[in-house]
Amino acid sequence: MSEHLSQVQLSALVDGELTRDQLALVQQHLAECASCTSKALAQSLLKASTKRAGLRYAPTGALEDRMAAIAKQHSPSSRRADQSDGGRLWLSLAAAAVMLLAVSIAGTALWGRHQSEPAIASANRAALETEMIDQHIATLAANSPPEVISSDRHTVKPWFQGKLPFSFNLPENLPADTKLEGADLTYIHGQPAAQLIYSIGKHRVSVFVTQRTDKTVAHGGPSDHAGFHMAGFNTRDLDAIAVSDVEPSRLWGLDDLIEQAQNGVASHPK
Amino acid sequence: MPLVPSLYNLAFWLSRNATDAEDLVQETFLKALRGFAAFEPGTNFRAWIFRILRNTYLTSVTGLAATRTVALEEELAGPDGAADAAYPEAAIDRQTPEMNLLVLSDRAALETAMEKLPAPLLEAILLCDVEEMKYREIATVLDIPIGTVMSRIARGRAALRSLLIPERTSMGVRR
Repeated sequence: MSEHLSQVQLSALVDGELTRDQLALVQQHLAECASCTSKALAQSLLKASTKRAGLRYAPTGALEDRMAAIAKQHSPSSRRADQSDGGRLWLSLAAAAVMLLAVSIAGTALWGRHQSEPAIASANRAALETEMIDQHIATLAANSPPEVISSDRHTVKPWFQGKLPFSFNLPENLPADTKLEGADLTYIHGQPAAQLIYSIGKHRVSVFVTQRTDKTVAHGGPSDHAGFHMAGFNTRDLDAIAVSDVEPSRLWGLDDLIEQAQNGVASHPK
Repeated sequence: MPLVPSLYNLAFWLSRNATDAEDLVQETFLKALRGFAAFEPGTNFRAWIFRILRNTYLTSVTGLAATRTVALEEELAGPDGAADAAYPEAAIDRQTPEMNLLVLSDRAALETAMEKLPAPLLEAILLCDVEEMKYREIATVLDIPIGTVMSRIARGRAALRSLLIPERTSMGVRR
């Protein structure tokens, strides 16, 4: 690449939207062009400054109260008494999502019986991915915090003892803007699973860890589904799939660290 | 409540006053409750609810008034259609990098510059930089092709730079 980088290329660079091939070409050009390197740095600074300046307005308490009242009006009376009023709206939405999900999974399963083995596997994989993405969305939307809130792996891992028929390790070292937020006990395909919740910048990541069984649905490597990226790994005893809308390379990096932790390899953030 | 601060922040930037922003957020939640059946499981919930907010804004009194004064895509792009045309930045290179960095870090100046951005450029910038949405999510929220998202963000940033360093450019931002 000999021509200077365009505004669109510079923006895509700082937004992490270049493909690997495009990124390689851009990096090659930046290594040789001081002018574009300077512009890229300025672009990056502008993005960071815009983020700070853009977070300018916060809702008042009165608005929060009004929203809570609206949520209360639309919430069924059978909601758990310990939920906040504000959480009811989101629980209502999440409940509707779960019902739709159940219908779609049932439909997929019924349809799958009449298909060939590869088609069944493909349908099961799609259902598995949809189930995980919906659980991830419910986590993003729900007002209720994770069942265990901690960034300490020595708190999160023991919390699952007695709740899951398997055990797993969590990486010791994470990249600077990556943090363990907590975890939930959940169910995937009817099997108990650990949902580990991480944040990478402002993006949330759900990592679903399940026990490997004969009925395990194989995850076919990194993929995109409904706007979310997915990456997974298998060990002899475990299956894990990570879901997020964060930049794919960041998701793969976290996935690799968790896999290394299962194999007893000391984690080193990239 | 989750997402309320983010929705309110965008609503305020778009409507430019607290009362309209609160009405927008409230209307968005009511529409989300009524129209939840339209939400497809497995799709992006955040993009879905931001899209409701944005559509609600577009059909509001302030939104309708704003769209009457908003430049068309071609006008935003400049006479030759190039993304950089309306906001040339070549002159910026004549400044020292240190000065550019200082100016770009000036929050008050940047907020003023953002207030002057046309709504189509500002909303793309806010969704990208503040909400950290991917281009694909922004395309969903704004209901435009990804290519248009890319050009709007690029033009928005070029416009901000032009506004922050006005003496170095010959063209202002066109509304």
